[in-house]
Amino acid sequence: MKSSFHGMRTRALGALAGASAAFWGASAWASDRIGEPTPGAIDLQPGVTDLRNQAIWFHDIILLPIITIITLFVLGLLVWVVIRYNKRANPVPAKWSHNTAIEVAWTLIPVLILVVISIFSFRLLFDYNDMPKPDVTIKATGYQWYWGYEYPDQKVGEFISNILPEAQANAKGVPYRLAATEPLVVPVNAVVRVQVTGADVIHAFAVPSFGIIADAVPGRLNETWFKANRIGTYYGNCRELCGVEHAFMPIEVKVVSQADFDAWVAKKGGSVGGATPAPVEAAPAAAAVATPAAATVAAATPEPKAGGTPAGTPAPSAPAAK
Amino acid sequence: MAAGVKHDYHLVDPSPYPLVGSIAATIMALGGVAWMKGIFGLPEGTSWLFFAGLAGVLYTMAAWWTEVVKEANRGDHTPVVSIGLRYGMVLFIASEVMFFVAWFWIFFEAALFHGNRTLGSIEEVQAAWATFPPKGIESVPAFELPLVNTLTLLLSGTTVTWAHHALQVGDRKSAKLGLILTVILGALFTAIQVYEYAHILDHKYFFGGEGQENSGLYGSSFFMATGFHGFHVLIGTIFLAVCLFRLMGKGFTAKQHFGFEAAAWYWHFVDVVWLFLFAFIYVIFGAAH
Amino acid sequence: MAQAAAYGQEDEHGNHTPGFFTRWFYSTNHKDIGTLYILFAIMAGLVGGALSGLIRWELFEPGIQVFREGSWLAATGLVEPSKHGYNVVVTGHALIMIFFMVMPAMIGGFGNWFVPLMIGAPDMAFPRMNNISFWLLVAAWVMLLVSMFVDGGPGRGFGGGWTLYPPLSTSGHTGPAMDCAILSVHLAGASSILGAINFITTIFNMRAPGMTLHRMPLFVWSILVTVFLLLLSLPVLAGAITMLLTDRNFNTHFFDAAGGGDPVMFQHLFWFFGHPEVYILILPAFGMISHIVSTFSKKPVFGYLAMAYAMVAIGFIGFVVWAHHMYTAGMGIELRAYFVAATMVIAVPTGVKVFSWIATMWGGSIDFKTPMLWAIGFIFLFTVGGVTGVVLANAGIDYSLHDTYYVVAHFHYVLSLGAVFGIFAGFYYWYEKMWGVKYNEFLGATHFWITFVGVNLIFFPQHFLGLQGMPRRYVDYPTAFEYWNRISTYGYMITAFGVVVFLLVLLESAVRRRKAEANPWGEGATTLEWTLSSPPPFHQFNELPVIKPDAHH
Ligand code: HEA
Ligand code: HEA
Ligand code: CUA
Ligand SMILES: [Cu+2]
Repeated sequence: MKSSFHGMRTRALGALAGASAAFWGASAWASDRIGEPTPGAIDLQPGVTDLRNQAIWFHDIILLPIITIITLFVLGLLVWVVIRYNKRANPVPAKWSHNTAIEVAWTLIPVLILVVISIFSFRLLFDYNDMPKPDVTIKATGYQWYWGYEYPDQKVGEFISNILPEAQANAKGVPYRLAATEPLVVPVNAVVRVQVTGADVIHAFAVPSFGIIADAVPGRLNETWFKANRIGTYYGNCRELCGVEHAFMPIEVKVVSQADFDAWVAKKGGSVGGATPAPVEAAPAAAAVATPAAATVAAATPEPKAGGTPAGTPAPSAPAAK
Repeated sequence: MAAGVKHDYHLVDPSPYPLVGSIAATIMALGGVAWMKGIFGLPEGTSWLFFAGLAGVLYTMAAWWTEVVKEANRGDHTPVVSIGLRYGMVLFIASEVMFFVAWFWIFFEAALFHGNRTLGSIEEVQAAWATFPPKGIESVPAFELPLVNTLTLLLSGTTVTWAHHALQVGDRKSAKLGLILTVILGALFTAIQVYEYAHILDHKYFFGGEGQENSGLYGSSFFMATGFHGFHVLIGTIFLAVCLFRLMGKGFTAKQHFGFEAAAWYWHFVDVVWLFLFAFIYVIFGAAH
Repeated sequence: MAQAAAYGQEDEHGNHTPGFFTRWFYSTNHKDIGTLYILFAIMAGLVGGALSGLIRWELFEPGIQVFREGSWLAATGLVEPSKHGYNVVVTGHALIMIFFMVMPAMIGGFGNWFVPLMIGAPDMAFPRMNNISFWLLVAAWVMLLVSMFVDGGPGRGFGGGWTLYPPLSTSGHTGPAMDCAILSVHLAGASSILGAINFITTIFNMRAPGMTLHRMPLFVWSILVTVFLLLLSLPVLAGAITMLLTDRNFNTHFFDAAGGGDPVMFQHLFWFFGHPEVYILILPAFGMISHIVSTFSKKPVFGYLAMAYAMVAIGFIGFVVWAHHMYTAGMGIELRAYFVAATMVIAVPTGVKVFSWIATMWGGSIDFKTPMLWAIGFIFLFTVGGVTGVVLANAGIDYSLHDTYYVVAHFHYVLSLGAVFGIFAGFYYWYEKMWGVKYNEFLGATHFWITFVGVNLIFFPQHFLGLQGMPRRYVDYPTAFEYWNRISTYGYMITAFGVVVFLLVLLESAVRRRKAEANPWGEGATTLEWTLSSPPPFHQFNELPVIKPDAHH
């Protein structure tokens, strides 16, 4: 029912004139699917982290109303001018071309509006920046064209996450082009730090329902974090053009209970007790990638280190669809 | 000038050179790709196409500027046109300055902001970039040949000014002498630079630690910044040499010698860029190791 | 404008027009060169528009239909039928639209035609250099086409996006296609730098007696600011792509992490050019819109000085906001915060412009001729695109929208619905002046309305796709995004029909040849070009006009 809500509504509104109204008509945010896009939807995917919810609030309550009002205001003025000052309604044009008061007004009012926006904007930005002490650290490496994930603290070596081929996705009833062969698994309500780097070209690790994105740049270690508050599966994508299969290296994150997470780690051959984060400086791969000149190997080798690949992980090949 | 024209601007006659020059530039570009990568069935390393294009470009420049000189001698460069030429040269130099900004930008980014390579506090990264040039890289000592080159260029700046003043008071003999000295100093700079490059390459100066196959970012920014500067010195020297050639003949008068002035401005620009290169690449961020 | 009318007639005898080949290939005449630029821009617009058709066709439904073996596209042999081919088409579309359509139309075309006319000059300062600016653009075009047909590495052509980010543009594309693309941008850049030098010199040195800077028409102001941006930003791009070239071929390591380089440094250099570039694409439109709004409202431009200095301000601020394209690349928090603030500031001078246009109309007596329709359309649609830019300026929300279709929607509203509407507005405004014939008002208005509906239908839904998280530069997308993508493609069909109507306008006027008037717009049109015949004589202003103090803009 929920998707047909959008369908009906938007179809009825049809063309552009209705589109901005549709913005507002989408009060049924709650009916959006969580963790993946909803057919025909017109709003931000719902969030499962505080930050994303704050971002949604900032967009829906602050930005969207302000820009809508500004746009409608400009449109209203234009319509008024067209009606009132066309050559039939006003055959004799006025000749004035100055009015200091109004010029000051339309300079100062936008300044004020921007100040209001920036108050909320900076709060959000700094909240993104202030990462609490992380409970779990993940290293995500972008390869052409799949992701490699590693849990240094849990001693889970790098495993490969490919796109789930269409037939398997359909068989499992999961969305093709979003589902992955090996999801990233994280505990619920835990602060997860994601360190992102690229092995060959730039990729980007992005998950909409967490509101995060970090470019995976060779030679750099970027960082972002999230704290998901709901168990479930959340899809993301590679969001930086990385070549031929750019559209086919999705990200799948499974948020599970702490117990399930521990079980998963054990299954992966990691050590559960090691939840206390070891100093990340020790992560050899990270340092190697970022060290200049001397260290060419880590950055240049697209293949994950052989020893780190647990048994049962599909070979790091490009997806079958190639 | 056509009948009835009552202004001093220079309405230039139709000219084949822009079209010819662009065709030559296209050939040169395609030739460059053929040389570097091979294209249209031409194997990699094919260089004749590039040189054919280059010849066309050089021909266009020579023919075009000869035309300009003729127009100048004919009196087309009225005072207002001459002001326009000045604007043109100044703006061209401004764009060249921005071109060098790109190279300095890279250099300063590496030299000053290397810590920004990571958002996390990863000590290895920061340690590796704590110094510039990075650990293990041997750089060129500033107060040897580079200093000689600095003095060479500074001296050439004074000789070109001498030539200019002489020309302005009609002392063509001193002007010639000053200009000859300038050209010689310019050539000397280039010679020293070539020698220095050979030395650097021989001794694998920037190659850092053992087994490294290239000179990395440091070598790249060093060679490209100083290399492009050297290229500009070469152009400036040719420009001055052409002026000298014109001076040897009947070219230039005490009142009108914009070609010479443009060359002198260009030369000063090249000089100033070198001072920046010397100060930052050789002295401030060079001597540490 | 208090000028003696019609300079054209009296000095016809002084004008011997050269023969065909000399006139069009060896030209040193600003109007002829302007015409060449405009024809070139129309050609490029058709090619770029066709490429966007391939994009929309592919995105009509999920799955890969067009860019695969065995499709009709494969049969044409023009574009590689693969995912790589899609990337090549997107890249080509963007480069063509920006460097070969909008810039040539606005600066090379309208700028060349009307800057000398409006300041009362007989030609540009360097007429011969003017011509090489044009022919270098043709050279650049040839290189770009060659690039699309030779090996790129992953397939035929370069498919790394118009932003040319390494390592995808270095180690990711090893074939000659990328080298051709780089040299194409070099040539286009050289063309623009020479053009910029020419315009600045012309405007500073060749204004007619009495034409002080503060009496200069706003279009001239807009071109002046634009070419300054070009002069100062393009060489930086030239440096950046030269580094790409040497990284690819000469063993340098500027952007190569393995050699201690950093790909993000390229992004800084690129956007230091790229952001001023987007204002280069829009400022001339600002100038044209001012004239058109004033002409058809029969009222002087409101707040002339504020209008001029708002453009100067936009130009200045445009140089210090570049990294708002790089919030996700890993910059320090202070930098991100600074770029948020600086970026939003640009909304203020831009707002001054929008409101001043409306104030110009206020109290006027508006005639809704075709150029005015495009101008009003411009004001509204540019505002829509501008305010979504302000949304993106906030790094906190850009984390959710970066590299999604929201960005695509934003920049098409300012480009395809802003810059392009500006171009069409100017094109119809000066149609008679340039071609010497009248266009058909009905066809012109039809062109406007079809395009207006079409492009909004293409791009408004893309906001929804972006909010839902659809990434850009995707040849294929999850099924959930199908609905709005279909609508968008329908919009393209309508727009394409609008382009056909545009061609009809050209055809109709060429066949009917209704003789143009010197000034078809009447009392509202006050700038100098309207004092000349349509088309103006081969050489105008053999005797310079004198501008009186009261007569500005
Ligand atoms: C003509 C081209 C053009 C123009 C004019 C603009 C104008 C603006 N742009 Fe846009 N932009 C692009 C072309 C353009 N842009 C392109 C091509 C890209 C993508 C490049 C790529 O990645 O491929 C891009 C991307 C882009 C980004 C990066 C998004 C991302 O990749 O994540 C951002 C972020 O800050 C941004 C911001 C802005 C802002 C703040 C303006 C401002 O100048 C807008 C100012 C105008 C207004 C605000 C409207 C009028 C004002 C009023 C009515 C006054 C009242 C208003 C307020 C108080 C808000 N743009
Ligand atoms: C000026 C710039 C410009 C213009 C006009 C357009 C016009 C259009 N663009 Fe494009 N586009 C870009 C600049 C532009 N675009 C850029 C920079 C990108 C990003 C590329 C990247 O990611 O690297 C992009 C990407 C882009 C995408 C995203 C692809 C992807 O991410 O996978 C899409 C998808 O729908 C698209 C569609 C269209 C469509 C349907 C039009 C239609 O509006 C086209 C209809 C045709 C016209 C409106 C042209 C008519 C004009 C003339 C005929 C000339 C007239 C001349 C005179 C009168 C002198 N464009
Ligand atoms: Cu990986 Cu896009
Ligand atoms: Cu920008």
